[in-house]
Amino acid sequence: MNRFYIARNIAIGAAVVLSFSLARAADDLPKADTILDKFVEATGGKAAYQKHHNEISKGSLSIAAVGVKGDLTSYRAEPDKSYTEIDMGGMGKMTEGSDGKIFWQNSSMQGPHVKEGAEKTQAELSAKFNAELNWRDLFKDVKTVGTDTVDGKECYKVQLTPADGSPLTQCYDKESGLMVKMTMTAQTPMGEQTVDSFATDYRKEGDVLMPHKIKQVVAGMEMVFTVDSVTFDGDIPADKFAVPDDIKALVNKTDKK
Amino acid sequence: MRFFIGALLAGTLCALAPAQPTLSPAERQLNVDSFEEVWKTVRDKHWDPKLNGVDWQAVHDELRPKIDKAATMEEARDIMSDMLQRLKQTHFGILPAEAYKEIDQKDEEGKSSAGDGDPGIDVRLVDGHALITFLAPGSPAAAQGVKLGWEILRIDGKQLAPGMAKVHAALGSAMLAELIETRSVIERMEGPIDKTVDVEFLDGRNRKVNLKLARTGPRGTETVVGKLPPLHFWVEARKVQPGIGYIHFNMFFEPEAVNSAVQKIMSECRDCKGFIIDVRGNPGGLGAMAMGLAGWFTSQSGLVLGTMYLRTTSIKFAVFPRPEPFRGPLAVLVDGCSASTAEIFAGGMQDLKRARIFGTHTAGAALPSLITKLPNGDGFQYAIANYISEGGKPLEGIGVTPDQEVKLTRHQLLEGQDPVLDAAVSWIHGQ
Repeated sequence: MNRFYIARNIAIGAAVVLSFSLARAADDLPKADTILDKFVEATGGKAAYQKHHNEISKGSLSIAAVGVKGDLTSYRAEPDKSYTEIDMGGMGKMTEGSDGKIFWQNSSMQGPHVKEGAEKTQAELSAKFNAELNWRDLFKDVKTVGTDTVDGKECYKVQLTPADGSPLTQCYDKESGLMVKMTMTAQTPMGEQTVDSFATDYRKEGDVLMPHKIKQVVAGMEMVFTVDSVTFDGDIPADKFAVPDDIKALVNKTDKK
Repeated sequence: MRFFIGALLAGTLCALAPAQPTLSPAERQLNVDSFEEVWKTVRDKHWDPKLNGVDWQAVHDELRPKIDKAATMEEARDIMSDMLQRLKQTHFGILPAEAYKEIDQKDEEGKSSAGDGDPGIDVRLVDGHALITFLAPGSPAAAQGVKLGWEILRIDGKQLAPGMAKVHAALGSAMLAELIETRSVIERMEGPIDKTVDVEFLDGRNRKVNLKLARTGPRGTETVVGKLPPLHFWVEARKVQPGIGYIHFNMFFEPEAVNSAVQKIMSECRDCKGFIIDVRGNPGGLGAMAMGLAGWFTSQSGLVLGTMYLRTTSIKFAVFPRPEPFRGPLAVLVDGCSASTAEIFAGGMQDLKRARIFGTHTAGAALPSLITKLPNGDGFQYAIANYISEGGKPLEGIGVTPDQEVKLTRHQLLEGQDPVLDAAVSWIHGQ
């Protein structure tokens, strides 16, 4: 699971959230690059990240309001390959992935779908492996825009604007330097959706400190992702990131037009 | 003069009407609590935070003194109904406790008394009569000689007509009443497998027939989705005639099973002249499945079935075309018990001019509209979202009007005919 970009598993990428409640003048706030670099240090340091070239996370998804639970498995590899599968029992399966070129999603309920336009731009960003280290390459502008309070603790709000697409806001704990909240507007075929994500239960996996519980609030509905295990540099089958046949057929159809 | 006579008659009728019992202080308090619950629910859960432009606090402040003084249940209901009517929207209403009991088959612990068995009968209301429209092959009802088209008069000694009339009067909307009354009839026949149900029928010769029917497990496989009670899901996909594919499933759940069935019949029916999707009696389920099902029947990207408006956001019901969709004539069969996702699918496909709709008007219950029990025992119905189909019309309270209306008749049912399916087949042959 991407620690830096924690909203990726529900097929929603980056986007807008305007900074509000500017409690302090910008001059009083630490610079955004300092906050982002501190996050890397607080979670293990550059060397700890660079040691790893792929990651397998297993866990669960729960939507308490409707009593839905599911199993989640996520595979990620350098530089931007990903495959995530969520099995929600009676609601079917949802998969999404990227081979670095084609970004796609397939849901038992909705069918296969190739991401294009703003949705693809967000997916490209969220698929970057070790995005934490490379934020300077991924965002054209970062700035500290204020403070917020999350779970009773103050945090610095950083607005990150990608080269293409709309900005997102992340909040970093003043003391620990850990990211505790992210707000973004996801670009989806069903329209833009504001997503608030809250990261807690930071624990070490190898040399890297990562959140094991991520609560997301979308359209008033609360979802909780829980990470049970993380394996770095495991044996990921060669075809894990291959584009599924349904998706290939859709891509071929589009290419023929 | 006519006005005077009317007023005189009204006065006479009032004098003849039984006096409403005066409420005890505890009952009055329950009405006040109910009033507050209704007011707060609308304030906090209505999809439009502006409440259709109504000054909701002012409505509260105006009516609260009246509910404090309400001396009868009827007065209290009128005040709460008045409050909801200020919204000028459908699907907000108060159901008198006696009507609510007719549709809420729960025991005192809140558990459904339906049990897990039924005699294998499906029912539809035709001109106010509960007629048998389906008999599960090999079911207890079929084994005891029950036939399609028979009318159900009583279940376990209780006559159906008076209860249905109460619900009909309380709901006002004939469309929704049909859905709720039909479900109520079906639920009354459900119960434990080891117990029988007494049913009085009117047979094909208009003779009363009393049968003690055993119950068997419901059709299909059990599925559990979230907090919903276990449901029984089934799907059938076959050719109704050479060259016409047919897909019928009882609810929008188990997407993997629906996909497998559709995929199988698609592969067998590549050269078919047309397809029929039967969502009669389908109460809906997972909204996203409407998008997925639509994707099997269009190759055009960027289509939307409609948009659901919630309090904080809106959700477009986008269609994702499958790699090899069916492009020929598509018929969708609906009736008064097609609701929610079934209406979103049928209405959207109609608006996109991708399907022709056959049958009778749908339930007009496209939204997550809830009916909850108030502290005073009355029912409170409210919708928490608005849905606008792609053609610009709301489905809630309006439903889907078929392109070709085909009504069931007792005579046709007794003859074993399915006129709705027949009309769709005939249309496909004519394309």
